[in-house]
Amino acid sequence: MKQVLLIAWREYKQYVFSRGFLIFLVMFPVGLAALTAALGLAERNKPVRAFVIYDQTDQYADEIDREVERRHALSTLNAWNLYLAAYAPADAAEALPEPFAPDGVSDARVKAIEDAGGYEAGEAAVADILRPGAPPFEAPRAQFERVAGPPALQDATSLEEAEEILRPYLLEERKIVRPDGSAAPLFAAVLIPEGFGPPQQNGEEAPSAQFWSRNLTDTALEDLVGNALDAALKREAAEALGLPRAALDDVAAISAPFDAYRPDREAEEAQLDMSDRIETLMPAALTYMLLVIIFGVGNLLLTNTIEERSNKIVEILLSSVTAGQLMMGKLIGIAAVGLTMPAIFLVGGLAGSATLGADAGESVMGPVIASLFTSPLLLIYLFYFFCAYAIFAMIFLAIGAVSNSLQDAQSYMGPVMLLVFAPLPFMMMVFQNPNGFIASLLTWIPIYTPYAVMMRAAADPPLWEIIGATALMLAFAIVLVRFLGRIFRNAILQSSPPKAREVWRLARKDAA
Amino acid sequence: MTDLPVQLENVTKRYGTFTAVDDLSFSVKQGEIYGFLGPNGAGKTTTLRMLLDIVQPSEGRVSILGSNSAISVRRRIGYLPEERGLYRKMKAVDSIAYFARLRGLSGGKAKKRAYALLEEFGLGAFARSKCEALSKGMAQKVQLLATIAHEPELLILDEPFSGLDPINQQTLEQLIADQRAGGRTIIFSTHVMQHAERLCDRFLIIAKGQKRFEGTLAEARAGFGRHIHVRSSAPASAFESLPGVLSVRLERSAGDEHDYDVELADNADPQDFLRQAMAAGLPMTRFEQAGATLHDIFVALAGDEEEAPPAQPARRAEAAE
Repeated sequence: MKQVLLIAWREYKQYVFSRGFLIFLVMFPVGLAALTAALGLAERNKPVRAFVIYDQTDQYADEIDREVERRHALSTLNAWNLYLAAYAPADAAEALPEPFAPDGVSDARVKAIEDAGGYEAGEAAVADILRPGAPPFEAPRAQFERVAGPPALQDATSLEEAEEILRPYLLEERKIVRPDGSAAPLFAAVLIPEGFGPPQQNGEEAPSAQFWSRNLTDTALEDLVGNALDAALKREAAEALGLPRAALDDVAAISAPFDAYRPDREAEEAQLDMSDRIETLMPAALTYMLLVIIFGVGNLLLTNTIEERSNKIVEILLSSVTAGQLMMGKLIGIAAVGLTMPAIFLVGGLAGSATLGADAGESVMGPVIASLFTSPLLLIYLFYFFCAYAIFAMIFLAIGAVSNSLQDAQSYMGPVMLLVFAPLPFMMMVFQNPNGFIASLLTWIPIYTPYAVMMRAAADPPLWEIIGATALMLAFAIVLVRFLGRIFRNAILQSSPPKAREVWRLARKDAA
Repeated sequence: MTDLPVQLENVTKRYGTFTAVDDLSFSVKQGEIYGFLGPNGAGKTTTLRMLLDIVQPSEGRVSILGSNSAISVRRRIGYLPEERGLYRKMKAVDSIAYFARLRGLSGGKAKKRAYALLEEFGLGAFARSKCEALSKGMAQKVQLLATIAHEPELLILDEPFSGLDPINQQTLEQLIADQRAGGRTIIFSTHVMQHAERLCDRFLIIAKGQKRFEGTLAEARAGFGRHIHVRSSAPASAFESLPGVLSVRLERSAGDEHDYDVELADNADPQDFLRQAMAAGLPMTRFEQAGATLHDIFVALAGDEEEAPPAQPARRAEAAE
């Protein structure tokens, strides 16, 4: 066993203490920080999009203005929530007066904050509980700004004419003048024709409002205008039916109280919360991680075995340890390499959320940790995780043993990769219907048993099926390990790699 | 320690229908240098691998350091395979220490010993160099040092001289001699006869998986009769008629002069042959008594099967033992 661990340790050291790995470890958080900073910078420097409304009805421009303002108010409220999460302790923030304490983002809360004195009052309320060094609260910039447009637009008599006037601005050949006197490119123009209204008014098709913009990718303003016009027409329709305009806003704001429950829990604990959602996602996450690790360490095992084979190190090793010990050492060492990366990220995430005091992080990490370390399923996951790893790692080892170069290995890798990733398209079906036919079928295919059982474990699958399929998988794994172990032993000492059709012969007992 | 650290009895190794080693038996004595000679493809490496239990014999019995399997006595064996390499990214000192640890030395001791060996063999300055930065000769030395670092009592070296320059060959010869002086038993395979001639106490010649000879150089020579080189203008037949002469072979001719290789019977005295030739009036400008070299013996035994039937010389040598 000492030798096995020695081999495993060498394998582990070779990769984990390599310059590349250490550089990656340092670069990853740096890269992550740079990405966050870049995103923040991009958000802050996002240009204020200037747009023009040409409204022949004189009714809808105000509706659009209101919607622009409403969206900005909501995003300011969202920024307030994030500000509290980042700079105020959670319990102290909870104790703040009603509209300022962290809560959902809604029009009602926007209104309440306005009534309570706006964010200036909020800042005063929060001043005592902020962490030292916290910056003042800064509302995000408005994303959209309506401008008057060129003076000639006032004299336009038709949509065509208006469009003709605006075209050079939309094509950025000319700049528009903003209210503060500066020049800016025109992002979009909204043209609302005479007679615009609900469709099929008086049995006739109403003319469409038009949205003109050269930017086809940023559809935020297009969606905003569409929503504002929808809401305006609905309000009009409500009024026609005798309902006051405001009543429709109240109706639209209604959100049904709706909770999900699980029947396998006692009544008071049955309500689904975030930790339940995360717990059900865990198998899928672990399955995904398994695939990534198998893919990653598979390549390590392959290149490493090829190195030992082509560098003629393997015979020296085999005079010191048995082929079985050599294989076991490699499997353990490389598995440890594969688990190091997720372990570092997990520990890093925990440390990060603990030291940064990001209570927002706690709300996601908490349930992840809880479901990882308190779930009785963890051991089950780990067991199947290692079974799957052992099965596929053995295949990679055997391929390494019959290849002198990566090129030699390519011809075997294709089919193996296909085999590894084949269940992927079906995993969604297993996830959504963990006790259905596909789930059952995959459970009984030994190389996919680990994936399937991991996905199904939380859904109480029939015990006999799991025990039977696991027994089959273990029997298959033992046969496979023996079979591939023989190929490994017999091929690793051959100076030239065997041809594909000879590989089967190498699995025979007397081949070496 | 046993008196016969290595014993093979009727060992055969077959790969499918191909017989790599055929009914091979031999034994190595404690503290001797045992040469394992044979042409390429003779089955040397396969035999050594069977000794080390890296491959298993199809038939027969192997005993090594008193055990039926080298696995249980691996720590007492040092093996240098014919095809050998090092981890490119590993430092020289770590490579030696790693293999020594795999063979049972503790971490600290292995490292200390690796440094000492590198220093002793003039590589002290390269101890912390990665193997990929070493010259070929240096890398070969490191491999060799990795083989002896755990101080094994039995050394098995497969073609240790191949690829070494003359200076390193000399260093290796010295190392082998030193190891023997330190009481170790050494088996090495080679097809370069000079090394075997200089170093080996006894040797084994195999060809096509079969034993052709096992014994000392003197025994091999005895089995090969006595040879005399003669230069004379007389015809070969004149020498053939002399008593005690088994055969006369013309080696070359220059004008009237011919060089002959005269083979005498085992009990014949070369001095008698000289007197008889003088008495018969045969002119001679050269007379030289020669023992067969190991090279001659090797070519005769391991060369073409038709020329040297395998069983006979081997039997003769065994009888002489």
